[in-house]
Amino acid sequence: MTADDAAPRLSLPPGPRFAAVGAEFVRGAGAAGGIEARLADRLALIAEEVLAASPPGAGPVSLALHDRRHAVRLELGFPTADLDLAGLDQARMRDPEDDAVGLYLAARLADQLTTEPVGRSGLLLGFNLARGYAPRSLDPPPPGLGPLAGAPVDPDDATLALLVDWAEAEGLGGAGFRIAPRVLDQRAAGELFARVALDARRRPIGGLLWQPFGRRMMALSGPALLLPPGPACEALAIALLDAALGALARGSIQGLVVLDAAPDMPRDAFEVVGHLPDAAGTPQPVLFRALEEDPGGIAWVPPLLRDWVTRSVRRLGLGRDLGEPPPPGRATGAVMAAETDRAAGRVTLRPLLAAGDAAAVAAGNVALFRGQGFGQFRAVLDLGQPGHAAFAEGLVQAGLAPAALIPDAAGDLLLLAALE
Amino acid sequence: MSGFDLERLVPAHVASFQAYVPAPPDDVLLRRFGVTHLHRLHNNENPLGPPPAAREVLARWDPAQAAIYPQGDGWHLRRAIAAQFGLEAEQVILGNGANEVIGFVIKAFCEAGCNIVTADRTFAVYEWLASFSGIEPRLAPLRADGFDEAALLRAIDAQTRVIFLCNPNNPTGSWWDHARLERFLEAVDGRAIVVADEAYAEYAEAPGFPDSFALMARHPNLVVFRTFSKLWGLAGLRIGWMAAAPAVAATVRKISISYSVNLLALEAARASVWDTAHLAATRDHVRQGRAGLAALAARLGLPLLDGIGNFAMLRLPMPDTVAHRRLMARGVMARAMTSFRYPGWLRVSFGSAPAMAAFAEALEAVLAEV
Repeated sequence: MTADDAAPRLSLPPGPRFAAVGAEFVRGAGAAGGIEARLADRLALIAEEVLAASPPGAGPVSLALHDRRHAVRLELGFPTADLDLAGLDQARMRDPEDDAVGLYLAARLADQLTTEPVGRSGLLLGFNLARGYAPRSLDPPPPGLGPLAGAPVDPDDATLALLVDWAEAEGLGGAGFRIAPRVLDQRAAGELFARVALDARRRPIGGLLWQPFGRRMMALSGPALLLPPGPACEALAIALLDAALGALARGSIQGLVVLDAAPDMPRDAFEVVGHLPDAAGTPQPVLFRALEEDPGGIAWVPPLLRDWVTRSVRRLGLGRDLGEPPPPGRATGAVMAAETDRAAGRVTLRPLLAAGDAAAVAAGNVALFRGQGFGQFRAVLDLGQPGHAAFAEGLVQAGLAPAALIPDAAGDLLLLAALE
Repeated sequence: MSGFDLERLVPAHVASFQAYVPAPPDDVLLRRFGVTHLHRLHNNENPLGPPPAAREVLARWDPAQAAIYPQGDGWHLRRAIAAQFGLEAEQVILGNGANEVIGFVIKAFCEAGCNIVTADRTFAVYEWLASFSGIEPRLAPLRADGFDEAALLRAIDAQTRVIFLCNPNNPTGSWWDHARLERFLEAVDGRAIVVADEAYAEYAEAPGFPDSFALMARHPNLVVFRTFSKLWGLAGLRIGWMAAAPAVAATVRKISISYSVNLLALEAARASVWDTAHLAATRDHVRQGRAGLAALAARLGLPLLDGIGNFAMLRLPMPDTVAHRRLMARGVMARAMTSFRYPGWLRVSFGSAPAMAAFAEALEAVLAEV
């Protein structure tokens, strides 16, 4: 749940009678807050469909509209998690007469769908729409940057923008160091963090970015290093990483994940926890750096992945009790959320609700997006949650294979991947 | 019940704080890591245990006394400590470990809008206790692995109520001598309480180590923390103490928790004060441990950070958190230092000879896998 107390909010009874009221609230709040009409209209449609599909016993539904600058987000909160949200799963066959078709449409309208628990028994659905950014011309960095002066800093906006522009102009740092306005907007929304190294003239000479990856991890991007290759550049990479680790230590974050390492990332500071195929099909290492000691934990492992997980646990030296997960409580109604990156042809699937039909739902999701032309498939299962294991069989049957195990004593993350 | 809204009732500084999760008990760790023994080199405990007199107290303790409350403020123990250091008994306040005493001081002097000042790479509990009490912790960077008085003074403002110095510093072992501490107190000039946390002071053999109790007479804003958990080998009983000028101690006593120190801890600690033979034996053990670890570091080519205390740090050519796991899988517990903002470093307590030998063997095996 976002902590934006200033976001416009409304509470409405569930069901179709108030669905249009919810839609008009979103349009009106969007217009008042300066959100583009095309984005507000899409979110209004989502609000209408979800409200209309909410069962009468769901209790009052809260709506909140957040402008996160790089994206807009509609949150719908329910006082109970005991809802039939199967319609949100895009892979389910649609019958126009099906009551759940509204949820299906809502999920299709969003760029990203998230769920999270609220309080003791509630559920929050989040629908995100991304903003676009116009292309810009970029100047290359000036000659003679460096050397490093002092410890890397949490930069001001101008310094961060300058670094991203220079990195983009030079093709450095990977995908994270692109489109400075977007990077600044993500940071302003609290969804991106940075450390930047400066030279004696306070000019940026390198940086690292990180963003949330699940609830207890951060994904690192970069580093972007503007010094010529050599010992000074290597020391700069280490200084940036140490600054990032220092900034995150003693907080809620348990580890740093690098899914797409830039060439200058200091590999010795990480462990390799698996490999993911890149767009060309070449396996690339998944790097991980724990911030806290791992005292061991429980991993709920589906039987068909037990051998792979056992080997990974041994290789990584993890202290784990491997448990066989109990079957889900619900017979039907499993849901997966899909995050799509159409430019990269990649879809990432995450379980939202487990049920006895989880395997079929998982396989159906892969088939759906394969049919839409996606070529890269990833799935993230939280082995700390017994229900997630139920999705594994369907994912494997659909051609995904275990690729990496990201350690977290409170719930290891198992990445599965396939490349068409 | 439908009206219970937990989120509404929880203060923001509590809601945003991440609970500290201690490691599971050893039996669980043994099972999870598949080992039959764990050498404890992670908590700076004294492998010699408590002094003989304290052992005797524990051995002859009558279990029937468990039904009786302890004396509420450690009457006898406070007098024993006061006599040892030339203080009045009312200047001494006991706590359930020094951690509780840290909480007493923050509670006594801080309110919403105030801040405390300490270092970024030191014992975490000052920072944690302030954070979840709604008090801003201001962290001054260490300089050359030691507390930097200039950075600390820069961090102080009108809202600063307490400055925490860890002397010697955990985990670096760096320390301020008497003159340096006095200069700092003069520079602070009474603007804030200055805590000298001397949990490892008994390991100091250098003549220049501060006589903080003497400084307290000239600087009534100085508070000194000590503990029975380290050199005195009573970590499992949880007992620490603080001393302060009479008016400061009287203020802290208002909010201190009476009866929080248990019977066994009070009696064992009282019997430990001030066993010079135990002190000498432990210091001798630490000297041997330090020499052995230095030799290991030299043999393996690992940088060593060492000072006062029953521990030292080694810089590893691999992530410390990975080394921690792999050492656990070989039956050795050492402390990964990323959480102390020393990424890549491992803190090792000077344990028993077999424990240090097991550590050396395990570390060599772990490094061979890099």
